[in-house]
Amino acid sequence: MGMTYIPSTLDEALHLRAEKKARPLAGGSDLMVQSKRGIGLAPEFPFDVMIITGLKELKGIRKLDDGSVEIGALSTPAEIADSDLVPWHVRQAASGMGAIALRNSATIGGNIGNASPKGDLPQPLILLDASVVLASIRGERQMLLDDFILGSKKTALGDDEIIKSIVIPDYDFTYLFYRKIGMRKANAISKLSLSVAAVVKDGEIIDFRAASGAAGPRVIRSRDAENLLKGHKTEEIPEIQESFLDSWNNAISPHAMPLYRRNTTRRMLSYFLSAIYSGKAEGIIEEED
Amino acid sequence: MPHTAIDDRIVRVDAVKKARGEAPYVADLNFPDMQYAYMVRSSIPRGTIDSISMPELPDGYWFITYKDIPEEGKNELWMIQKDWKCFAENDVKYVGETIGLLVGPDRNMLRYLLDKIEIKYTEQEAAITIDEGLAVKGGPIVGEDNVLCQLFVEKGRPMDEVFKEADSVFEETIETGFQEHVHLETNGAIITIENGKYTFYASAQCPFYIRKAVAGLLGLQPEDIVVKQTTTGGAFGGKEHFPDVLCGPLLVAEHKIKKPIKLIFDREEDMLYSVKRHPSKTTFRTALDKDGNILGIDGVVVYNCGPYLSGSFVVLQRGVFHANGVYDIPNTHVKGIGIATNTFPSDAFRGFGAPQTLYAVETHLEHIAKRFGFDPAEYKSRYFLKQGGETITNGHVVERVVLPEMMKQVVDASDYFRKAKEYAPGSGKGIGISFYNHGGAFTGNGEQSIIKAHARLVKTGERVRIEVGSTEMGQGFQTTLRKIAAATLEIPIENVDYDNPDTSVVPDSGPTAASRSTMIVGRLIERCAEEMKERWAEGDFAVEKEYEHPEGHPWDQNTFRGDAYLGYGWGCCVVELEVDKLTKEVKVTGIWSSHDIGKAIDELIVHGQVNGGIVQSLGYASMEKMENRKGHFRQSSMSDYVIPTSMEFPKQEWFLVDNPYEWGPFGAKGMGELVFNGADAAYIDALERALGIEIHKIPMPPEDIEEALENAQ
Repeated sequence: MGMTYIPSTLDEALHLRAEKKARPLAGGSDLMVQSKRGIGLAPEFPFDVMIITGLKELKGIRKLDDGSVEIGALSTPAEIADSDLVPWHVRQAASGMGAIALRNSATIGGNIGNASPKGDLPQPLILLDASVVLASIRGERQMLLDDFILGSKKTALGDDEIIKSIVIPDYDFTYLFYRKIGMRKANAISKLSLSVAAVVKDGEIIDFRAASGAAGPRVIRSRDAENLLKGHKTEEIPEIQESFLDSWNNAISPHAMPLYRRNTTRRMLSYFLSAIYSGKAEGIIEEED
Repeated sequence: MPHTAIDDRIVRVDAVKKARGEAPYVADLNFPDMQYAYMVRSSIPRGTIDSISMPELPDGYWFITYKDIPEEGKNELWMIQKDWKCFAENDVKYVGETIGLLVGPDRNMLRYLLDKIEIKYTEQEAAITIDEGLAVKGGPIVGEDNVLCQLFVEKGRPMDEVFKEADSVFEETIETGFQEHVHLETNGAIITIENGKYTFYASAQCPFYIRKAVAGLLGLQPEDIVVKQTTTGGAFGGKEHFPDVLCGPLLVAEHKIKKPIKLIFDREEDMLYSVKRHPSKTTFRTALDKDGNILGIDGVVVYNCGPYLSGSFVVLQRGVFHANGVYDIPNTHVKGIGIATNTFPSDAFRGFGAPQTLYAVETHLEHIAKRFGFDPAEYKSRYFLKQGGETITNGHVVERVVLPEMMKQVVDASDYFRKAKEYAPGSGKGIGISFYNHGGAFTGNGEQSIIKAHARLVKTGERVRIEVGSTEMGQGFQTTLRKIAAATLEIPIENVDYDNPDTSVVPDSGPTAASRSTMIVGRLIERCAEEMKERWAEGDFAVEKEYEHPEGHPWDQNTFRGDAYLGYGWGCCVVELEVDKLTKEVKVTGIWSSHDIGKAIDELIVHGQVNGGIVQSLGYASMEKMENRKGHFRQSSMSDYVIPTSMEFPKQEWFLVDNPYEWGPFGAKGMGELVFNGADAAYIDALERALGIEIHKIPMPPEDIEEALENAQ
């Protein structure tokens, strides 16, 4: 059984991380559950743990000079969902995480560090080319979240590093789409999720991107598929749609419910493309009755 | 204080305490020198135990197994039969079978020791599904053919004659899955010795069942054991026989250890290692004339029982007796088979076997109606049973059947016929309807021949105490029964006491199950109160009554012929929904129901039961998926086995009809299970219409809808 530390500064935490390899515990909504031992007993960790909940350096959401947004690793889904600074896709995902109690205790750093394919926040963050700021006593480094998450429950986090913050570049999309399919309407783990965004100018698709959650061991983005659409006129969509959808279908690799996850993803993407093609008003694409 | 009248709106007697978290449950109880227990269970579905390697146990720690059962005792739990062992001996038949009980003072140490126990097995091929059980995969588990129990009922003419006259025959198989009870409070019990007697504190529906089930382990009589029910946070049938499986090992341990011992399941244990609703497979072959009229139905109903009988034969009987639904089918033959498999034993769950066949027959008739171009509601209503009509067991419907009136309430309120025409098949919108019933109380003359319920009222000054073995488990019975007593005696309900039963104090009024509490025990208390009222001036005294069976209702338990039930609750439900075109998620937009429960003793409690029963049934049909792979349940938590939240379904519109029942208190019949029995079929009917396909199983989460659509193409 490991030791438990409670550092009071980031510097102290980084030393504990470097010297004891202590793992950060913030909201506890993953770690405590994974290490539970039944009623009446405290969870026991086979490694040292440091409770970082009090570290001010990891809190807060702010706009940076270049227009990007930095979200402190200890920000909760409730704070993220409430913040005007945070891009729409991420707020949507944050507002649909678990139940209220979880949204007030879980953290964005934990959700990323846990690297569950069903995690809610990595999917829109990867869509938005967000990067993660990693801190250690050696200094800081920044890498794309898409590179940071290596696979199911696997990240590029060094054993002396902690996740300090997440930086989301500033984008202005013409069309946006987000959908999470849970096992039920509230308090549900994601069964499948999809974010899509496009920039359309004078009938031309300048940017197009999509990210699938819970459809494989990690969040899926396919630049190859996205490139099939970029640079084309929206009126060409009917001709290139099928090859795009096929390309996307090849990129996702669901083990469970493959038929459902593939078909639903296809229908959602196709719906989004039809909306662009039909010249829908700019903004959020929502399903109509 | 004013007298309580039966129609007064009152606050449930247990509501405030429970809502505030002040009510103590068994996990909250502590005794001096109390020990804790953990179950050591089989991790394979079928095989023999080669060795059990134990860590060295510190002083004061015990590992209790079948070897600790004394010579005068037998390693069996007496439920209905005695086949379910208290502890596995050499072989194991399901994942989760109790092998031993690890007992000691410190839970941390117990947990540590538990992880160090190593059991080696020689595994045998297991039978998990109904088909594997029927095919005797891996060799027989029970007898030669795995048939644990079976029966048949027939009505009308011989089926081969009927089928010869048919213009067409429609055959289909309809399946239902496991369902987990998810009672808010997990299973738990404490054993101690009080006044020289083994005494249990248990979260349980049926304290008298526990006494009977475990006494033989020590060669004792049921009376030698005391069971005190603790405030029970939900049960739904999951605490009918299953507490025996906790209390048996505890009794054997107590025989050795002589200290209070507490055994509480955590949620994961409660999900993985407890009884479930029987999965079912029902095949109907129906003879039809050229106009689509039903000439006869031949049915085979198979329930997956697991390796031990527990309550399965009674569950199967109820399933077969409800296999014609609310309909008077002229010729019927229905065979029921309870098949043994290597899954955790299936047992009681709200509806007790009826929901499976009711779902199947509703869906089957709805499919016939659609094939012949009839509206299902109109088609089904042609076959409604009427008072005096012959039931599937050659008995007769005793009460006035007001289904046509109930149907009118519900179709009018929902605008069913307009919507049914307007929503084209496959349009993504659908409306569906179902009809159902539930036979109140024990089957046939079981109340008279098996239970012989007693109830007692004790008067002390101005206060009256109810003494019954019936339990409050969240359904509101402590309020309902107090209200019956108070209203009959014309005294304030505040002057009536009714504590959680203690088997050393109260008479046995039978199990709290089978929708019998209000109808049977409520009537007993009403009779006690009627006499007490007349003798009120006599001072302090007690009145005890025994169940009396109404004359003229024959039942033969050997041939299953006669009046299977002395009264039914009746129901009709309409569900309207939309299917998301992109994601196949289903949004229910309307729920309407009408129920005939004789008379509502307390309308607020009944409203709660209607809401809860219908939501639970919709969960069963839509999202509650419990899979078993190689003997292991795959869903182990409330995040992977999902039950509906308050966000899932819209506000319900509900009706009751006034149809007083002759032998119930104030005219009341059973209702706790009825309200679970039919919303699933209405939901699937609506879903089929919205998708334009036929569906042959539940549950149907979006991924299964996707597959059904794919298969229909």
